[in-house]
Order: sequence, then C-alpha cells, then structure tokens
Amino acid sequence: MNVQPRPRDRRSFADYIDDRPTDRVFRVDRAIYNDSQILEAEYRNIFEANWVFLCHEAHIRNPGDYFATHIGRQPVFVLRKPDGSFACYLNACGHRGATLVTSRIGNARKFVCPYHGFCFDTAGKCIAVSAPKTGWREQHLNLSEFDLTQIARIDSYRGLVFGSLSGNVPTLREHLGAATALIDIFVAPAPEELEILPGFSIYQTACNWKIMHENGPDAYHAPVVHNNFAQAVTYREKRELRSGVTRTDTGRLTGRIESASYDLGNGHTAFWHKRRDPEAFPIYAQRDELSKRFTPGQMEWIIGRGRHITIFPNLLLNDLASTHLRTYRPLAVDRMETMIWCIAPAGEPREMRAARLRKFEDFFLPSGMATPDDVAVAESAHKASFAFDSKWTNMGRGIDFKIDGPDAAAAELGFTPRASSNSWDHEIAMQGVYRRWREMMERGEERDCV
Amino acid sequence: MSDLALTAAVTEFLYREARLLDGRHFGEWLDLFREDAIFWVPAVGMDRTYTSEPETSLNFIYIVGRAGLEARVLRVESGGSLASNPLPHTRHLVTNVMVDNDGPEGVSAFTNTQVIAFCEPRGQQIINGSCEYRLRRESEGLRIASKKVLLLEYVVDGYFDFFTV
Repeated sequence: MNVQPRPRDRRSFADYIDDRPTDRVFRVDRAIYNDSQILEAEYRNIFEANWVFLCHEAHIRNPGDYFATHIGRQPVFVLRKPDGSFACYLNACGHRGATLVTSRIGNARKFVCPYHGFCFDTAGKCIAVSAPKTGWREQHLNLSEFDLTQIARIDSYRGLVFGSLSGNVPTLREHLGAATALIDIFVAPAPEELEILPGFSIYQTACNWKIMHENGPDAYHAPVVHNNFAQAVTYREKRELRSGVTRTDTGRLTGRIESASYDLGNGHTAFWHKRRDPEAFPIYAQRDELSKRFTPGQMEWIIGRGRHITIFPNLLLNDLASTHLRTYRPLAVDRMETMIWCIAPAGEPREMRAARLRKFEDFFLPSGMATPDDVAVAESAHKASFAFDSKWTNMGRGIDFKIDGPDAAAAELGFTPRASSNSWDHEIAMQGVYRRWREMMERGEERDCV
Repeated sequence: MSDLALTAAVTEFLYREARLLDGRHFGEWLDLFREDAIFWVPAVGMDRTYTSEPETSLNFIYIVGRAGLEARVLRVESGGSLASNPLPHTRHLVTNVMVDNDGPEGVSAFTNTQVIAFCEPRGQQIINGSCEYRLRRESEGLRIASKKVLLLEYVVDGYFDFFTV
C-alpha cells in the first residue's frame, strides 16, 4: 500500500510511528534520531518519568558503598545504607550545587562537599556546614535547608537496582512484567550471588541512543555484521585446537537455527536462539546441579538457549557469547555513552571464569572483534537519518509470523509477552519498543499541556 | 653490546614495528611476534585503576598466542568488518624509549606512544598509551614475547584495534 508522506510540522509524537497492523506496516520516522527537541522530550518523558536501571547490587555490596551514575541527564549516586537498604540522591550538594561524589564508586559514612565542606549523612541530611557561627545567627541556621534531594523511588529485582525520579509509577515488578521470568533464568545459576567481574568498559558512540537500543533486540544484523567475527574465531580455534569452554559457539552467526523473539510489553524485549554447542559455555558444567532445581523445560532455557533481554530504556542483559550487563544514556542527540560489565556466578572455577572473560572481550568490547562493527553500523545509520526525503525506517519484518501472547517456549517458562514470533531475526520486539516510546512521549505531551 | 648500542638496536626494532603497522604490512608485523606471544591491553576498574590479573578480570584485549593476533589481522583484512573498512590510516609515534637488559635471553623496553588514526567516516582519533615489551633474542634477531599497552583514555571514542594502539 502506498502512503502519502505527511507534512513535517507535526502535532503529535504519534506521527513519528506509522503503526498500521491491518496493513501489515510498521515504520519509524528517522527524524526521531536527529531532532534535539525530541531528545529533550525523551529526557523529560522517558528517562525522568519512569523506572531506569541504575546499577547492580554487587556494585554496592557493603554498607556505605556508593555508585555514581545518571538518570537521563541528571547526575545521581546510589548508596547502600547502614541498614542494608538502598537510597539514591541527586549528586549535587544542597548548598551551591557542586558535584558531591566525584568517584565512580567508593565507600563513605558521610559525604563532604569538595566546594565549601558541607557534610551529609547516609540519610541525605546535612549534618554540618563550614564556619557556621560566623555565617548565621544560631537560631537561623536550619541545616535541613541543605539536605540532599532523594529520588522518588528505588527498588531492585534479582540484584538489578532501578530508580525513578517520578513517584507516579507502578511498582518495579509491574514495570518489569513479563521480563521477570527471563531475568530469573538469567540469574538461575547463582540466584543469590552474581558477581560483577573486575574491569569494565565505557565507550561513546556518535549516534542517537535509540539506534544502539534497537541494535539490542536486532538479531537480524548478526550474520551480516558479525560474519567476520565468526570467521576470525573459527580460524583461531582451529589453529589452536581449542576444546571445551574455550571454544566459541558461532553457529548462531552462520546458519539457520531455532529461535524466537518477544515483545514483553512496556518496551521490554527478549530473544533466544538454540545453542549449537552448549558445551562451549561455562554453565554447562553446572547442569547436574541445576537439574535438581529446575524442570527439563527450564533446563532447556538455561543450558540449551542463548538469551537476550532489553529493559526499556537503558538496560541490556544477555547470555550469548558471554554474560553481559550493559547500560547506556544519551549525551546529546547524536552521542551516547555505554557502560558494560561481565557478570558471572560467584566462585566459579578459574578456567570457567577465564573462558567467560576471554569470550566477553572477543565480542562485547569496543576493542573486540564484533562491537566495533556494531558501533560503526550505528554511526552510519545515524548519518543516514538525515536523508529526510527517505524518511521511514521499516520495522515490518516478521509481522506475518506474529503470535499474540506467548508461544510454546514462553508458556513453558510461564511468562506472557504481548507478542511472540518464531524467529530472533524478526522486528516484532522492536515494534514494542517504539509503541512504548510513543505512549510515554504522548503521555508527557499531555502532562506538559496541563 | 654497550647500553647505548642496545638502546639504539631496540629503538630501531620498535620503530620498525611502528612502520610495519603504519604501512599495513600486518603479515610482517605478525612475524615480529613469537608463537606464544602475549598481546595485552588492560581495562580499568570502576576505581579507575588498570586491571592487573587477566585470568580473573576484564581487559580491552588479552591474546595469548599468535593465532589470536592472526585472527584479528584476518578480520580487518577480510573487508567484512565495517569498522575496519575503510581501514584507518595510522601514524605511530614512539618516544621515551628505555631499555632494561634482562640477561642473555632478552630485554625489556618501555615506551610512550601516540597513535594518530584517520579514516573518513570518523575523522581523526588520537590514542595515547605507554607500552611495555618483553623481547627475546633469537637467531634472526629480536622477537616480541609480550606487548602490554596501558591506554591513557579508557573512555573509548568509538572503538580501537591492535593497529591503533
């Protein structure tokens, strides 16, 4: 069906998403990638209006541990309080607004501002100012005027800590919805003790944040963009006669394999693919122990399938080449920052740990053999988003195979996605991302008008 | 060999490595490495210190054995890697060379490096680092037993690879 282009002075964010299920059309206007006013609206209506991922509990294991990060553009730090609970404060001194916490991580029982020396406790209360007697008459010094600003909501699920600047949000569990079942599977090998391995990576990419967010649920690109990865590691592993967990399962990149993808609702997505070589993964060694705790159907999910989850708008978790935790944020309409960690069961044998790390470095780092190509393709897509006269990004692949609700694998694990599809290279999940984007942007628009 | 002559010989070797990389003679560059060579670029931790235990922590690159380097060369020369196609032009600047004589078998060398890379889509990129080499004396001359690069900027702009550090 031929559609007349719409005029460019839009009235509603809905006009950026051409979603007509009955015509089997799903398209996104590429202007959403390069319009700085849209980014401003995204900060307000998405990042600052709902739950976003902050950090992992393992980053702040002990009382006083803190982790500095951002909610959208707003600097915050997450703190493990002496009672073991979490708090998150805007990372700005209550006096004149200097950055209070300047390390990425640390441990403190009180926080002293590096500018004028104001001092805060773990409850965010201002407990001392410099030279109080010469600055205020005693009865007029009200320390609580300087208290830190706490974010509205903080909660964690299976070690993943989320926060919201807005109090007008559902519970975290409601927000995660169907994704909880997949997060449960992700942490299954060590439900209480996943460890963030030492060393991380932070990299900046010259593209709109949504282009990289889309690249998460997009498995369609893998055999094209990462075929060179498969060839390189296959060469290496033949030359070195590798065996066991030091091998890399490249079957997912080089041929047709059983797979599925899901629109989990609330903009969250997942896909899985059958592992051609499950013995190449450290978790395979745990199969006997795991089979005592999980049903055969669950075991197929844990051992037999590579899995990938994105939680809108800023978290990616996967167990593909290795086990991977990633968060990201926009820095500008055409620049984003990504932080990634390798995450693994605590106390795993040394050779398993090393194999997991090496495979992580091979694929997921900006100095690896796959991520540079993802970055290059994302940056080139950003440049092409200025081709305004070719304005639609088409995300219709797989509409013909879409199932409303769960497929058999989802039903077996007991989660109810909004939609399922029988291939990881369909774009059904991405459609869910942009329906959520539209919903949140429109909701914000209404609020801004009031 | 006097200390001065040794430093001159090692510096010459390091310049040759830089020249092979800049000239994209990756096959000849690989020949500088021993079969069991280590190529190591540590990452940093959340505390901003370099990781030092490659078996238990993450690294930007940790390759043990020349086959891993060969795989990297294969990839960037395949034409299938968008990040390496077009392949950036590079200029490796090698300075502050200091050499320690480790005895009859080999020497250690320490350098500061600046790699200026240019490719058309991304423009100019400057990657600063310091390198530690363990070199072995073999019948044909010096060979690299290990090369370790500590990057100055650990917040990566885009991406980098073996030929841009």
